[in-house]
Amino acid sequence: KAMCSGRLQTALLVAGYFVYLLVGAAVFQALERTAEKQEKMAAAQMKEAFLQNFTQLTVAEMEQFMKNLIKAIQNGVYPVGNESQFEESNWDFSNSFFFAGTVVSTIGYGTLHPKTAGGQIFCVFFALFGIPLNIVFLHRVGKMLSLLCKKLGKFLYEKGMRKKKIKFLTLLFFLATGILVFLCLPSVFFQITEGWSYSEGIYFAFITLSTIGFGDYVVGKQSDRKYFSYYRVLVAIWILFGLAWIALLFNL
Amino acid sequence: MLQSLAGSSCVRLVEQHRSAWCFALLVLGYLLYLVFGAVVFSSVELPYEDLLRQELGKLKQRFLEEHACLSEQQLEQFLMRVLEASNYGVSVLSNASGNWNWDFTSSLFFASTVLSTTGYGHTVPLSDGGKAFCIIFSVIGIPFTLLFLTAVVQRIILYITRRPVLYFHVRWGFSKQVVAIIHAMVLGFITVSCFFLIPAAIFSVLEDDWNFLESFYFCFISLSTIGLGDYVPGEGYNQKFRELYKIGITCYLLMGLIAMLVVLETFCELRELKKFRKLFYVKKDKEEDQVHIMEHDQLSFSSISDQAASMKDDQKANEPFVNSQSSTSNDSSLNN
Repeated sequence: KAMCSGRLQTALLVAGYFVYLLVGAAVFQALERTAEKQEKMAAAQMKEAFLQNFTQLTVAEMEQFMKNLIKAIQNGVYPVGNESQFEESNWDFSNSFFFAGTVVSTIGYGTLHPKTAGGQIFCVFFALFGIPLNIVFLHRVGKMLSLLCKKLGKFLYEKGMRKKKIKFLTLLFFLATGILVFLCLPSVFFQITEGWSYSEGIYFAFITLSTIGFGDYVVGKQSDRKYFSYYRVLVAIWILFGLAWIALLFNL
Repeated sequence: MLQSLAGSSCVRLVEQHRSAWCFALLVLGYLLYLVFGAVVFSSVELPYEDLLRQELGKLKQRFLEEHACLSEQQLEQFLMRVLEASNYGVSVLSNASGNWNWDFTSSLFFASTVLSTTGYGHTVPLSDGGKAFCIIFSVIGIPFTLLFLTAVVQRIILYITRRPVLYFHVRWGFSKQVVAIIHAMVLGFITVSCFFLIPAAIFSVLEDDWNFLESFYFCFISLSTIGLGDYVPGEGYNQKFRELYKIGITCYLLMGLIAMLVVLETFCELRELKKFRKLFYVKKDKEEDQVHIMEHDQLSFSSISDQAASMKDDQKANEPFVNSQSSTSNDSSLNN
């Protein structure tokens, strides 16, 4: 009898999951389709206007040029700007360190990725050992964070509160401070350093800490902004503790 | 007597702080690993990037020279707009206009990559409503995914690992550890060929400019949920049967993720690995009741395998299945 209800539960869970995916797909489609249409029309119009302005350019030449450019962009080389910006590399040590971190934490922004065959093979092996290492590491850091909560719990227990209430309060405290420290405050910080709006900052913080990591917003990538020297290190520390907090959140 | 006392207290000191030493080693090892990765990536990729930059600079120069009517500023403005659109996945090239990023099957593919936290980034929500919905969808969906994966993996493990291992242990009389190790290796080998090698071969055929290494690299980066997004299947210019293809890829990624978790769980249940992992974890204190629901990252199943281990130790190993809810209630009752 228990087996029957267990099988039913599994079947319901599987069905529910696929329904959830389908509903999500339909809503995304409804929300994004018009924006995409507008974007396409705007790009086509701009191309038309440009070609009309410069009639010596043939369409074929233009297409070829753009294809080469787009390929370069996808390889991480941004061809806009003057010569001095060509000096800064995507693969200097600090950028490579940041890339290694995004691989190992499985965030994987993708704004930077290995192009050579050797780089790709190394990436596979690096991740194979690095991801378990990262998991164990985050687990430990998370336990350190939870010690704070335990101290709070002990303090409240000594004050004579019931265990259930303590649990609820510590969970709430953990959730509230975490959201404040790891989502709200960094978004304000990013407003200043990156020039994003507050909601864009929250979106970036969420997409990063959930390790989804689209890469549409990445810190330190805007060529016309000056970042102070330890900016990326600060962001990396935030990501580390934020990931540990989320991991712990699922354990409480 | 004093010497022996001092000696034993020294040993005790080291033993007490053994976990602290292990943790310090872990932190150091982790940082060194990252530095090592950075050095290797940098030395491998930098020369190639250098070449690409020079090539691009020359291309731009040549283009401006050939078309003297174009000023550099106008070109830059045009390029910025084109590249902005390209970042969002909208291509301005004439032969790419057929591919829509937000038709139903592509949206389904997108939704599944969000929930598995892969997040390629080849398509991203453009509108504010889309971004907000993305956050809400994930906040509910990612725990849902974890629940789903846990339930499915636990049931699969029962049929694929526990029963066969028990069968061979009983029938052929080898020790459980030997059977478990051999079984884990065979399972790992089968999974790698079914979910990496064969799909890589298929992708290298279906995708125009992917060779075998690139397809394998794609499979690995996707199934580990890193999801860089440099290779995304189904985005080629005139992809036939694009809708069906996208659905097929969605199913492959989901099944591949489940398979990876099954293999990981099987390996984690090996006794040797358990001992190794316990070196780094803090000892469980039983004073407060902690209700472990599930570990966040899909690739870490320490809580589930620990629950399974504690159930094995306290009860017989022939549990029909380990329901996550019943095991948490057991866990809290064990802690009380």
